[in-house]
Amino acid sequence: MFFISIAMFFIAPLTTWRIHAMLRGKSIKDKKSIQIMVVYFILLNVVTFAVSSYRGIDMLKWNPFTTTMSYRIKYILFSTVLGTVIACVLCWYLNKGITVTEVKRYFGRFFHDMRKYFPYAVRSAKADLRAEVTNSFLDWLWWLIEPVCMMLIYTVMFGVVFDAAELYFPIFIFIGITMWSFFTRGVTSSVDMVRANRGVVTRIYLPKYILLVSKLMVNAFKMLVSFAVIAGMLVIFRVRITGSVLGLLPILLVLFLFTFGVGSILMHYGVYVNDLSYITGILLTMMMYLTGTFYDIAKRIPEPFGLLLERGNPVAFLIAEMRKVVLYEGTLDWKLLLLWGVISVLLIGIGVFTIYRNENSYVKVI
Amino acid sequence: MKEKKNAIELEDVCIHYSIMNHTSIRKTFLHKKKRNEVFEAVKHVTFSVREGDILGIIGKNGSGKSTLLKSIAGVFSPNCGTIDLKGHSVSLMSLGVGFKDLLSGRENIILSGMLLGFSEQEIEAKSQAIIDFAEIGDFIDRPVRTYSSGMYSKLAFSITAMLETDIMLVDEVLSVGDEQFKQKSLNKMKELITDKKRTVIIVSHSISTLKELCDQVLWLHDGEIRMLGKTDEVLKQYAEYMAFTEMRQG
Repeated sequence: MFFISIAMFFIAPLTTWRIHAMLRGKSIKDKKSIQIMVVYFILLNVVTFAVSSYRGIDMLKWNPFTTTMSYRIKYILFSTVLGTVIACVLCWYLNKGITVTEVKRYFGRFFHDMRKYFPYAVRSAKADLRAEVTNSFLDWLWWLIEPVCMMLIYTVMFGVVFDAAELYFPIFIFIGITMWSFFTRGVTSSVDMVRANRGVVTRIYLPKYILLVSKLMVNAFKMLVSFAVIAGMLVIFRVRITGSVLGLLPILLVLFLFTFGVGSILMHYGVYVNDLSYITGILLTMMMYLTGTFYDIAKRIPEPFGLLLERGNPVAFLIAEMRKVVLYEGTLDWKLLLLWGVISVLLIGIGVFTIYRNENSYVKVI
Repeated sequence: MKEKKNAIELEDVCIHYSIMNHTSIRKTFLHKKKRNEVFEAVKHVTFSVREGDILGIIGKNGSGKSTLLKSIAGVFSPNCGTIDLKGHSVSLMSLGVGFKDLLSGRENIILSGMLLGFSEQEIEAKSQAIIDFAEIGDFIDRPVRTYSSGMYSKLAFSITAMLETDIMLVDEVLSVGDEQFKQKSLNKMKELITDKKRTVIIVSHSISTLKELCDQVLWLHDGEIRMLGKTDEVLKQYAEYMAFTEMRQG
């Protein structure tokens, strides 16, 4: 018993360490090897603790010597899988010859570039919005008409035909559509982003993710217009609103960050792979149905998959939380929201890093 | 006279293109290890331009002129060697690119200017001058996609000409527009050039333009420097070479 209590902390870091050494191929120096081991040990145990604390284990009273066998096994399995994934991803990047100094340099450059090019992104977003207004017949009314019509269609289809209605169903659908279309538009456009801006990109240097930032701002503005409609509908439907409705701000922030993260990674691959847009199209359609845009995913999909999907799919989670705080007087699950926020920031890190590293050759390819 | 400082220094610059450009998912699975063929567009080029000078670059099609210019403008960095602009601001004028098609000319002026490193206020202050110079009238408020190719390049020229950067890179722009605008842009060019602080690199096929404007000419041949020196000498050699190859082909 004593042995396994100690071992549960060490099995995962040791495995991860071995995988790391194996994937790196060449022999790592002793001192560095120990450093890597220590880092993995701390990282894996802290994350696993955080997860088990989220799952409802009181860390202050917890004692490794009296805990159940089932918990120990779950602990070991979870941390090993986590460690393997981390090691694989890390080594994949390390094997491309990426160094810590390079990461640091790009980190500094990101903030510098953000400050320098942010005004451009804002101005470009404004100009795009204005151009859309002047170029179409019904002008900005389209930003209202389109989501409202979609809402009507889906309300009838899913509310009446498929009988999946919920309380305040039109608003329920509207929130789903609005947030989903922000995500899907951002991702779809990012695949073709560099090629679509060929004119700008081939004439002058700008960090390519700025194009995506600008595009997301355009979409975010349209999303805010939709949220104004939602506010109006809340009044019409006489929905009772509590203070927890303020939770919509962090939810929208995480949605923005997550879309930016996924978009910036796809943007890089979109430059090189011609047919990537087919794959993202298929995946997004599949994901749309697994996101519960039109129905309550936790309710309609059998246990335990419904809840798993809702928590494991960030967009589904954000939409569900949004409905909860706006419509159903629920409180925000801020722990999980924070986790998805952190993951989004990591995705942005990976995406921006990849773009910085490769953008030099984008212009030569398009 | 005091020795002038260098404004642009290139040292041992090479630029490669990978031949295998696009790939699709099927290709990736079928040919796993297809080696990227590398095409060297610019090979070990070293030269410098002094502040206030005008350098012409000449050479036949595909000799790497535009590639070199783009990398000086910072669109992409060289695969080896260094390009040092000594902290000067730089703008690239080239044919038919640089605008967002759906936006109006006015918006494009501001966006292009911002990318060149000017603030919104600075550009707004100069935008009237740009519009006047470009002579495109009411079209300035219409989307750029409705422009004729002449208007397009007139606007592009005006932006770079009026927003004055320290270094101007000109890629075949001087031969656009109608006869009258051509003369006007040539005059404007001369005016910009007489400013002793501005450094200019011009890429052109037109021997007469280069003869008129440049202090120095660089002849690029297959990505290498064939000759670099006084305008008259290089252009004479180049003309002889072109006549010779034409004769051999003909």
